[in-house]
Amino acid sequence: MTIEKRPNATADKNAPTQAPDRAPMVSPGTGPKLPGPPGVPGTERFRLLAYVKQESMVRVDKRPDETLLTWPHLLRAEFLMAMLISGLLVVTSLWIQAPLEEMANPAVTPHVAKAPWYFLGLQEILSYFNATVAGVIVPTFYLLGLAAIPFIDRTPFKAARDRKLMWVFFLCLMLGGLLVTLIGSFFRGPGWNWVWPWEGLFFNL
Amino acid sequence: MNAVMRFIKESALWRSLFRQPYPNTSRTRALAVMNNVFLHLHPVRVKRHAVRYTYTFCLGGISFFLFLALTVTGLYLMFFYVPSVSRAYQDIQAIEASVAFGTLVRNMHRWAAHLMVLTVFLHMIRVFYHGAYKPPREFNWVVGVILLFLTLMLSFTGYLLPWDQIAFWAITVGTQMALYAPLLGQESSFFLLGGIQVGQETLLRFYVLHVIAFPLIAAIFMIVHFWRIRKDGGISGPV
Amino acid sequence: MTQHASYGEVHGPRAGEISRRGFMRRMLGVGVGILSLEFLGGTLAFLWPNLTEGLGAEITIGSATDINNAQPEWKNGLPYIYGPANLFIVNVPAAKARVEGDGSVSSPIEDPGTDLDEDLPLADRSVLALWRKCPHLGCQVPQLCDQSQWFECLCHGSKYTVLGEKRDGPAPRGMDGFPVLSVDGVYVVDTSQIVNGPPPGTVTFDQRAPTDMPHCTG
Ligand code: HEM
Ligand code: FES
Repeated sequence: MTIEKRPNATADKNAPTQAPDRAPMVSPGTGPKLPGPPGVPGTERFRLLAYVKQESMVRVDKRPDETLLTWPHLLRAEFLMAMLISGLLVVTSLWIQAPLEEMANPAVTPHVAKAPWYFLGLQEILSYFNATVAGVIVPTFYLLGLAAIPFIDRTPFKAARDRKLMWVFFLCLMLGGLLVTLIGSFFRGPGWNWVWPWEGLFFNL
Repeated sequence: MNAVMRFIKESALWRSLFRQPYPNTSRTRALAVMNNVFLHLHPVRVKRHAVRYTYTFCLGGISFFLFLALTVTGLYLMFFYVPSVSRAYQDIQAIEASVAFGTLVRNMHRWAAHLMVLTVFLHMIRVFYHGAYKPPREFNWVVGVILLFLTLMLSFTGYLLPWDQIAFWAITVGTQMALYAPLLGQESSFFLLGGIQVGQETLLRFYVLHVIAFPLIAAIFMIVHFWRIRKDGGISGPV
Repeated sequence: MTQHASYGEVHGPRAGEISRRGFMRRMLGVGVGILSLEFLGGTLAFLWPNLTEGLGAEITIGSATDINNAQPEWKNGLPYIYGPANLFIVNVPAAKARVEGDGSVSSPIEDPGTDLDEDLPLADRSVLALWRKCPHLGCQVPQLCDQSQWFECLCHGSKYTVLGEKRDGPAPRGMDGFPVLSVDGVYVVDTSQIVNGPPPGTVTFDQRAPTDMPHCTG
């Protein structure tokens, strides 16, 4: 039940002819010329704007709904995750040593010079294509293409079958990137020649 | 014991810090989140599915937590590291050899950095899977792509700092790609390296970017990212 | 709510005109825009590398005699490695003789001369300063390979002639270099401007194909 106090609001077409018990009832059409001085308690008159069958907007009785309190539910989840990750990180760091080779020496090129792993896909592409294409156009297109996704896919539907094209586009970016990164990481050795992982790993983290 | 606790809890100091008792009613729990500057990044209530581990896999949260862990461990390392070609490598060796827990902190910093690149990618894939870039969240997706780029840059600039052979040649090969830009390729490489090849100027530049510039910019974008999640009506719903 | 139109309406300019307030606002926007651009430009200028030594400056290599003293094989065509700036200093006439003699030179050339003009073809100059940073991905190019008399990059197998022309591999062009000057008989290399290597397919000297001879790298 929504009741508006302003005397000259427009009439609502959906107002039911039969008002519920306690609602002050005013027949449509008499609104603008209301008698009684404004602001004097007890003399305002109300008119029915809409009769809403659902629960009211402001809930008085708290029934279970689709939300939870942040404290404790969300905070507990976050805390547990933080503990889990911290633990994992400490155990990993006690167990696996970060690499450190000889001091940098510009005069000695190692037999395998690789970029950090997240750029190895790029380095792999660089061995197929012209340098400008692989080194600049591909990464620019990659980032801009990702950023453009919400502006290309304008429909409100989220199910996979309703956005097949986007899925194909996104999977191409992801799986393509994964493939070249894996090749660059584990299948390339001295001279950027093909090497099977069991013949030798040339990979640094 | 209880008397001591009561004395503490009724002191003016305690009550100026905490405006309410321990939150164990709906009202005080809501107030706890609203009144705390850190907690109020969160709304008071969240959707039921948002706290399910299998909805987000906590990937965004883990990325953020790793960012915090990297800030702390990075700060520790800074106390023992000088970005100079004649010292950097020895400093790393000294951290490993003679600083208490030095090896642990260095390892944590390094593994957290690699893990963060991974979780940010996975987070992006999870967001795509749920179609959570759809209106009204388009802009937050774009902010996310910027964060992805910043994460890569943070990791890349840090990679040079140990000044060993891996670092030197990885950055040489990596920055060489900038030379291939069709316009201003040589200029941008010169600017990035602070010279014609990787050297002292490069180390200093990467250091400043790594410890101040990129973390600051990334933190600002993260604030925008989190704020946007709330303003876009909380986390998206299941597909 | 047409009867209440006067509540929200701001008296504005007629169509096609711009109000004083609108004009000021626009000017403010333009001003802030210009200021931001200036700030950006100033930042770039401030952060622009300021090189006074090492690579990027003018580097004195020495006279022909100095170089021969430092590396006796220079007169026999083996490039002189100038470490601090990462350069090959090529004695062009001697190097050509070395390639033609497949590694041996009958009459050594002590002083190649001062034909250093940048308009001359590479093969006609006296001395070249080639940068040892491979134009592919920046690895260090090693000293001339004995078997092939070419420069062969270890990283991805790019191969260059003794004049820096590309013959094989993934590099986008020949080896980059720097202008060489002669000041009172002393060779000086101006490393402030990189001269990009010749485009692939340039053949001014040394016609051999990669398959013609044995190599140091596969
Ligand atoms: C430094 C990197 C990032 C951090 C710390 C971060 C953090 C977060 C957090 C904590 C959430 C809450 C939900 C969740 O945990 O999944 C979130 C949601 C979101 N993120 Fe990120 N994020 C990062 C990068 C990205 C990237 C790379 C993208 C996409 C390109 C992205 C797009 C989004 C979107 C659209 C949402 C809303 C998701 C929804 O409503 O379901 N973020 N982010
Ligand atoms: S860096 Fe020399 S061939 Fe790739």
